[in-house]
Amino acid sequence: MKNNWLTPIALCLLVPALARADSVWVLEQSTLTYHVSHPLHQSEGVSHAARGKGACHAGQCDFLIAVPVKSFDSGDSNRDLHMLQVTRGAQYPMVTVRTRMPETAAASATIHADLEIQLAGQTVEYKQVVFQLTAEGKLIRISGTIPATLSDFKIDPPSLLAVPVKNEMPVRVDVTWRPR
Amino acid sequence: MNLKAAIALLGLMMLVLPAAIETPLRAQSSGAALTGAVKDTSGAAVPNAKLSVKNVASGQSTEIEANAAGTYDVLNLMPGEYEVTVSAQGFTTKTAKVTLGAGAAQTVDLVLESSSGNAVRPSLGDLRFPQEVAQGSAQEQARLDKRSHMLKIHQRLGLITLAPLVATIVASSMAGGRHGTATGRDVHAGLGTLTAGMYFTTAYFAIRAPTIPGTKTRGQIRLHKALAWIHGPGMILTPILGEMAFSQESNGEKVHGIAKAHGAVAAVTYTAFGLAVLSVTIKF
Repeated sequence: MKNNWLTPIALCLLVPALARADSVWVLEQSTLTYHVSHPLHQSEGVSHAARGKGACHAGQCDFLIAVPVKSFDSGDSNRDLHMLQVTRGAQYPMVTVRTRMPETAAASATIHADLEIQLAGQTVEYKQVVFQLTAEGKLIRISGTIPATLSDFKIDPPSLLAVPVKNEMPVRVDVTWRPR
Repeated sequence: MNLKAAIALLGLMMLVLPAAIETPLRAQSSGAALTGAVKDTSGAAVPNAKLSVKNVASGQSTEIEANAAGTYDVLNLMPGEYEVTVSAQGFTTKTAKVTLGAGAAQTVDLVLESSSGNAVRPSLGDLRFPQEVAQGSAQEQARLDKRSHMLKIHQRLGLITLAPLVATIVASSMAGGRHGTATGRDVHAGLGTLTAGMYFTTAYFAIRAPTIPGTKTRGQIRLHKALAWIHGPGMILTPILGEMAFSQESNGEKVHGIAKAHGAVAAVTYTAFGLAVLSVTIKF
């Protein structure tokens, strides 16, 4: 093999090139809303503070969205502080959502995404969560609801008048991505 | 040991001792310092990065951690060649070579690249959240836990206090006016005292609950807190006026003067207290 010495050089040149993303997406705007139910109250907490990045390579895209727990606003500071406490938001200040999907999914009207969510120091996977996609020029808007529950993240349900809130805490997601 | 040998030993000690003392002193005075900052490619500080400063000649390493602002310093290093290796979560490890002169203080800023870089899987570091937002604090969590615990007790005691409060109102009909009796006054006074005791215990848990810096009071909790400025002073005034009315009635006098306001003050106080309970119970 006359040109054996070429192989390591070729590898050195190729590997960094292969490790680079073909395209990168950035979260343009976001609205994340959690919903909790109590016999006396229906409460929603909204955050627009999420940041996100998506990187596509070899036909697959990896997305990461992160949002500070304390950025959720339910309109009542006492409730927000209580939510921050039960979700251990001072110790684990960020909620992160990761997902991987084929690049071709951008052309679909509906996608089924497997999500890996970190909250309150727990990592939970949600399979085949349905999202709607809408193309708005170069932007892609994705919306759907994550069927999260408090027990998934080992969160003690907050209570009012000794009655705890329901275990279900669906999170509505409405995010817009733009290519970088 | 003969005299000659002793003198020779003393002479040797006089030669060696100053040198032995001087060497560490000289080493200390010639100690070099390495300082700098650890940053990411955007120029933002990388907090708490781990640094290893290795003397190439001796192989000795010093392990340190940069502070929360990303800066570090290593003092009393021997002059020579060093390898500084820095690592932080979410970044690729970087090694820099540094030559330190005797007694010199050298500043070396180290720039770390995100471990994901342009590669496929994005990392939290890519999203450039400010450090104070993204970094957790067990101490802050403990403060929140204590706050919630105390406010839960406040809430429960507040609800329990409603029972003697209602009973005091009911018993008031037996305490004064035409149908008032000595027993009725005693029962009313006893229930009132119990209500006041429970009320102030309830208030203690709200007042002593830790506050969370930077939190603006918003929503119905504002009304709850505002009502405390009515029922708080009212709960102090009501028993005082009640005691005055009690004394006057017990002396066979008609309730007069400021004591006449006892019933009205109690009504306002109890109404404010009831509204305070409702303000955190019912959404409006």
